[in-house]
Order: sequence, then C-alpha cells, then structure tokens
Amino acid sequence: MDKKKKGKIISIFLIAIITLFISWILILLVGTSFTKACSGFYKGILGSSYNISEVLVKMSPLLLCSIGISVAFQTNFINIGADGQLYIGAIIATIVAMYFNLPTILVLIIALILGFIFGGMYSLIPGILKSKFGISEVINTIMLNYIAIGITGILVKTILMDKSGYFPMSPEIEASFPIIIGKTRLHLGIIISIVLALVVQFWLDRTKSGFYIRAIGQNVRASRCAGIKINKNILISAMLSGGFAALAGVFEILGVQHRLMVGISSDFGYTAIIVALLANNKPKNCILTSLGIAALQVGSLSMQRYAGVPSSIALLIMGVIVLLHLGNEALFPFLYKESK
Amino acid sequence: MIALITSIIAAAIRIATPLTFAGIGEAINEKSGVINIGLDSIMLSGAFVSFYVCNKTDNILLGVFAGLISGIIISLFHGYLAIKGKANQTIIGLALNFFALGLTSFLFLVGFGTSTELPTCRIVSNISIPLLNKIPILGEVVFSQNIFVYLLFLTIILSYIIMYKTSWGISLISVGENPKAADTAGIDVKKTRYLACIINGLLGGLAGSYLTLAQLGFFMENITNGKGYMALVAVILGKRNPLGIFLAALVIGVADATQIRLQTAGIPLPSEIFTMLPYFVAMIVLLFSIKNNKDPLALGTPYERNAR
Repeated sequence: MDKKKKGKIISIFLIAIITLFISWILILLVGTSFTKACSGFYKGILGSSYNISEVLVKMSPLLLCSIGISVAFQTNFINIGADGQLYIGAIIATIVAMYFNLPTILVLIIALILGFIFGGMYSLIPGILKSKFGISEVINTIMLNYIAIGITGILVKTILMDKSGYFPMSPEIEASFPIIIGKTRLHLGIIISIVLALVVQFWLDRTKSGFYIRAIGQNVRASRCAGIKINKNILISAMLSGGFAALAGVFEILGVQHRLMVGISSDFGYTAIIVALLANNKPKNCILTSLGIAALQVGSLSMQRYAGVPSSIALLIMGVIVLLHLGNEALFPFLYKESK
Repeated sequence: MIALITSIIAAAIRIATPLTFAGIGEAINEKSGVINIGLDSIMLSGAFVSFYVCNKTDNILLGVFAGLISGIIISLFHGYLAIKGKANQTIIGLALNFFALGLTSFLFLVGFGTSTELPTCRIVSNISIPLLNKIPILGEVVFSQNIFVYLLFLTIILSYIIMYKTSWGISLISVGENPKAADTAGIDVKKTRYLACIINGLLGGLAGSYLTLAQLGFFMENITNGKGYMALVAVILGKRNPLGIFLAALVIGVADATQIRLQTAGIPLPSEIFTMLPYFVAMIVLLFSIKNNKDPLALGTPYERNAR
C-alpha cells in the first residue's frame, strides 16, 4: 500500500517531466524558441493583475461544470453533456433578464435558481433514459449538446433576438453579477463556485445521501444489496450535474458575456471533463485542477500571440496529461512492482 | 419526386459509409468485450494522416494506407490501456478524443499554416459500373458511387462472415461474453481482444480516410464533428450486426440528407431546426431499439485470470 502511494507521487513527477518534454518538442516543431514561447505563456497568465483575473474568469465555468461532472462520474453516469446544460442555463438567464421586470438582485437570484432547475431537468432526460431504459448516457448527452446549441440558435434568431441588430444574438443584458476587483471581468461567480466545490465535497464525504452516491461508484452490486436505490441516486447525480453546469451558463451570461449567442461556451463542458478526471472526481480537487487548466488555456492563447505556437497545443497537452494520468499503472509498471 | 428521393438516398449512402465502417469496427471491438468511445479519435487521426500524406505525395492509395496505420495505432493504444492497464475504457476513449483533436489541430496548423487558401488534396472519383448503373433508381443509388462505397459493401459481407461463420468469430464472441470460459477452452483472451482492436483501428481509419479522400478533399479542425458518436449510435441501433449497423447508419444518413435539402429549400425558418434533425432522430430511434438489449456480458470489464 505504501509502495503504491509512493509510486503515485513519483508518477506525478514523471507525468510533469514527460509533458514538459513533449511541449518542448512541439514548440521546436513550430520553429520558435522555447524561451520565447515560455515568456509568452508566462505573460499571458501572470503578466499583470488583469491577466491573473482572466485566468480566474476562465476557471469559474470550468470549476462549476467539473463539480457536476465529478458528482455524475461518482455514480458512473458519464455525463458528457455539460456543454449543452451550460447553454440551457444561459438561455434561462437571458429569458429571466429580458422578460422578468424585477430589480437586479432578484433577477440574479431567480436566474440562478431557475437555471439550476432547468439544467437539472435537461440532464434528467439522459438520466431517465439510462436508469429506466438502459440507453447509453454517453450518446444521449452528446446528442443533447448539439440539440441545446440548436435551441440556442433558434432562440437568438427569434424571440430572444436583438431587434436593433442584424446578428443572431440577444440584446445586451444589463443585470450583472457584482465585479469583485475593479477594471477586470472577475465576478462574484468565482467565489460562489469555489464555495460550492467545498460544500459538495462535504456533502459527498460527510452525509448519508452523499455516501450513497460514492458507494454506487465503488460497487453497484454491493450498494444494491445494501438497499441503496441505484436508479434514484443516478437520477440525483444526473440532475445535480446538469444543475451545476447550468449555473456556469448563468454566470457566463450575467457575469461575463452579457449577450446570448451560439459560441458563448468555448467548449467549457468538454474541458471540464478533463478537469474532473485529473481531480479523480473529487470536487475539492477540481478547484486546483480547474485553475491549472484555465491557466494552460489562457497561457497558450498568449503563447500563440507572442510566439506563433497554435493554441490547440493546450488541448493536446491536456490530452497527454489525462492519458498519462489514467494509464499510469500500465505505462509506468516499474513504479508499482512489489520489491521482494 | 423520384429524382429527389433517389438523390437523397444516394446522399444518405455517402453519409452512412464512414459511420458504417467505424461502426463495424467498433462492433467487433465491443463483441470482444472492449468498448471504445474514442471512435472519433480514430476517425480524426485517419482523416488527418490520409489527407497529409495525400497532399504531400499526391498518391491516394498511400494516403489511405497511412490513415489505416494511424487508426490502428490509436486503437491499439486504447486497447493497451484497457487490456493491460485495466483502466476505465469509456473514460480512456473520451480522453483519446481530446488528445486526437488537439494533436490533429496542432499538426494541421504547423504543417499548413493559417493561410486563407484551404490546402486541398485529390479525391477518388466515382466509378459507374457498366450496365448495372442503368437500372432505374438502384443504378444511381448503388452502382454509381466511389470505390469506398463498394469497399463498404464488401466489408459488410466479409465482417458478417467473420463474425458469425468462422471459428475466430466464435472465439471473439465467447471472449466478450465469458472470458473465463473462453480462457479455459484454450482461447487466448488478450490476443483476441488486441486483434479486435486492430480491426477497429483499421476500419475507423478507413472511415477517416473516406472523409478527406472521398467526401471533402480538404482537412479542417474537428472535421469529424461528432461522427464517431453517431457511429456509436449506429452500433447500438444495429445491435452490433454489420448489416444492422449499415441500415441504422442509413436512417441517420437519410435524416441528415433530408435536413440538408430542407435547409437549401428556402423555407423561412431558422436553419437550426433542420440541423438538429439527425440528433433528434438518433435519440428517438435509440429509444425504440431498447427492447432485447444484448450487450456482451463482459463489455467494459478487463479480464484477470486469477480473479474470482
């Protein structure tokens, strides 16, 4: 057991070294100097307080989506639909802001509550299809991503369209979450999402209903024998995961972008899967991994500007890290061999 | 009207071809007990490598060959982590999709730059089979297609024979249903599963080649755009039977071909109403296919000889 723990720690260092080595080769492949690329990366994430805040702005939706995905993955509900659920939250936020004539504070609160409910309901569709009919949630959640984007597209061309403009987008929304640091885009959502991560972790670790969720992920058969209602808990985890992803959408509309259109999510829902996987499906670990992944994305964008390295390098590096992380026992067997 | 239907079905076959190739590969993989959600990664790498080689050498055959190899490499990597590493197969497939998307986008930009002119490659031409192409409707739908489509018909027949009429096919199914019994009977479980992975990579790579070398003639980021997942729908819907998968892919193909027609028909509705159609059809059709779900019993579980 001790050996295993030690192996895990060494494997983290190995993964870091291999990842750095691969990035070095990739940057050489582009034909720019490694130091130039690195300084571009550094400037992008730590160059000024604005850059730091941009990392945190990116981190917020990733964290919210990954909290939900972690809960879903705990019951083996492989929710790939966070992106679609995020759009549902964004649609709800836009509708509330456009059609509910209420003071800002009420608009914000109602948008969060309704967003959570509708996102949860949207995620219940694949949840019910899985638990009642046994249809793969992987496929249904992906189909629902395309459908949610389609619905967004239809709405911004019809009832939610900005009539004064020509483009398919909603009018600018005035209601906004408070900005916590002046002159940046950093809104209250980041604090709320960090708090939520800790709350959900506490719920999973310290409450009975949270224990059921974890137990199902460990061993479905044992849980069923112990009298845990499997289907009900899968539905709960599906609903929660959709709800959290939808919150990310609400914050994107009312905190950052203030206009609904197709493309508000830069694949947050998909990237959040990587965040959750690297966090071993633990919401509290998601805080750090989402920060890391957000920094990687923001940094690589700046690396593209400064050194001409395509920003898709971020996705590639994430893929490498996740594969090494998931397969580390097969790829580094020498770390786990029992010494006789 | 008949001309319209004919052209829609002909287009549906062209859309169904890559889904069927990848779907049959995945079906064989799943029959052996290994599920690979990362079909998209296999197709994407096949599409990119085929395009790259064909663009540089102007040789379609070489391009297809390189695409197959790349597909096999990706699928074997999945197989290695699943069979040897005993990792969660679904999750690894998912991770491979991210990896392949990043890798192909990066290499594409590095290899071709961001010029405004889209780099292109040669594509295979349609071959009309003499006499047969004169048959009304069927002639245009079936006998005036490109070489990949004919290859597809051959693959459907061959894979059907291999899966249901050969002893290897029986080993394949037994390894997926009850690996322990298969092992006791002297079947090499790991070897059978690896071979299934190779076939999956081969057919998935071919599906990718089809996209760039037969359908489009160019490459762009995320060119598969979820086709790997559509192929998975076809696998479930077709109950892992090659002919069933082809018919399922045709249903998706007809939905897609119809929505493209409707989009260009000038109906004053948002185009998204039509683009959503294939995804709706996929979900609804899945809902009606759930009766007698016959997943291989050992699907997704790694085999351990000494486990109880």
